[in-house]
Amino acid sequence: MSKKFRQKVNKKKVTLDVLTYAALIIIVFLVNLPFISMLGTAFKGKSEALSSTALFPSELKFDSFIRVLTKTSFPVNILNSAIVSVTVTVCCIALAVCAGYAISRFRGTVFNLYGIFVLLLQMFPAMLMLIPLFVIFNSLHLVDTIYSVMIAYTAINLPFSIWMTKGFFDTIPFDIEEAAMMDGCNQFTAFLRVVLPISMPGISTVGIFTFINAWGEYTLASIFLRTDGVQTMTIGLQKFVMQFTSDWPALMAASSVATVPTLIFLLIAQKYLIKGMAAGAVKG
Amino acid sequence: MSKNKSHKTTALKNKRLGYILLIPASVLIALVSLYPLINGIILGFQDYNLLRPKKRAFAGLDNFIEILTKDSEFYSTLAFSFIYTIFVVIVAYILGLCFAMLLNRDIKGRGIFRMLILIPWVIPSVVATTNWLWLLNDQLGFVNRTLQNLHIIKEPILFLADADLAKITVIFTGAWKSFPFMMIVLLAGLQGISADLYESASIDGAGFFKKFWYITLPSLKSVSMISTILMFLWTFNNFENIYLLTRGGPMNFTYTLPILSYYTAFIRSNIGYASAIATIMLVVLLVVAMLYMKVLSNRDKYE
Repeated sequence: MSKKFRQKVNKKKVTLDVLTYAALIIIVFLVNLPFISMLGTAFKGKSEALSSTALFPSELKFDSFIRVLTKTSFPVNILNSAIVSVTVTVCCIALAVCAGYAISRFRGTVFNLYGIFVLLLQMFPAMLMLIPLFVIFNSLHLVDTIYSVMIAYTAINLPFSIWMTKGFFDTIPFDIEEAAMMDGCNQFTAFLRVVLPISMPGISTVGIFTFINAWGEYTLASIFLRTDGVQTMTIGLQKFVMQFTSDWPALMAASSVATVPTLIFLLIAQKYLIKGMAAGAVKG
Repeated sequence: MSKNKSHKTTALKNKRLGYILLIPASVLIALVSLYPLINGIILGFQDYNLLRPKKRAFAGLDNFIEILTKDSEFYSTLAFSFIYTIFVVIVAYILGLCFAMLLNRDIKGRGIFRMLILIPWVIPSVVATTNWLWLLNDQLGFVNRTLQNLHIIKEPILFLADADLAKITVIFTGAWKSFPFMMIVLLAGLQGISADLYESASIDGAGFFKKFWYITLPSLKSVSMISTILMFLWTFNNFENIYLLTRGGPMNFTYTLPILSYYTAFIRSNIGYASAIATIMLVVLLVVAMLYMKVLSNRDKYE
């Protein structure tokens, strides 16, 4: 009787599993349709892209990529984006780690209010900040330099980064620093030598978030970066959309190149990324 | 006793270290975020147009009065801002919850599926919108051509040129870009529900829908509140999704408040008026943010 029952339950579980897989495969396909068609078109020849509706190319061709990387200013845009994103990530982590540690470890009104203030700051309309920032940067002659977006992105990403690093430091028990302090560290050296190394996973999560944000940012870049030499990837891609809509394969090749860094980060760090996303809302 | 005392003295020194550690971030936030924000609110009370910068003057409430009493474009934009935000959040929530429940089943390889579903969320908006423009293109796009080949439609669907369709399209792509966040957050919430609850409900003879209604939904209440409020704030502030797809068009049918203030500031050069619009946005967002803080503090009390 019980064996029969178990068999029945098992059978039900297998059917449900099969259905789950089927549903997941369909969902992944539909959700990533834009992405699949991007890769498919990028590897098609120009004539095939315009004539055939197939998602995948009949043979792999790289001439769209070659066209984008040799005959346009897109490589310069990519390079600019790389410089900006790496600088912003490093600066943002350095600042966020210090502030995050402070509000995680110290008690008092200043630290409590600082935490709330930082949380609120993320909710302000970007446009309200952007318009005056343009006026200010304009008078400082920063508009149309790469520094304008570096400074702005670092500041914009700071509140979230501080809040996240604080969350990670909260999970590390204070005993660890106390032990280090007994061994002759002061609290600052204990923070540098003991707490920072063990919070590396958390800190890299913050870094990934910042990098992805800086890499894909469009709005500020469109206002601050006016000439070819300083423009970032997002602006370069938008210019393509305006100029080359007849050359969709080249456009899709450029999009594919622009996606590579984010995908690499997703592959390396998805575990931390997911933890960070969930922590943002679940732990508050 | 002596140990206690030394602990106290380190704690005192500590606080100074705490203040010092806050300084670098505070300086940057003060100069690049806070100062411009305050400046932006002040600009809203000024008559300031970049095309005639010498005429800059204090204008009192003029900008706000004009926006609220004479500007019909503002009201249609405000209405669509709310429609857009609310529908994106609802669609993203429903999709996120369904997929999270699928991924919560204990199956092999779910990590891979979870990662693949995250792709829309991580790829840059510019790439995502370009891909959609290509997929939905009326002449060559995959969707229109496939539907035509299958003889489901005769004429291509003008996803972005028709006013109503454009609204639906931007809501759809907005939800598509943000549902993975909902999924991850709700999945974390689902994994926090004890399996015992479901088991004892099964023994009591509860079916899928009963378990969903009486166990799953109530357990996700606080996670859902916080994530929908956060997503409301992000979506209401979002500029890129709509701007990159339709530029606010056709005409101004898909204008949202960020787009309206962007155009007012950087195309019409009317800095004062644009700042006033952004200030009104701030008021709306602050109300929602207060709600968020209230939910957070309620939950802390509850736990």
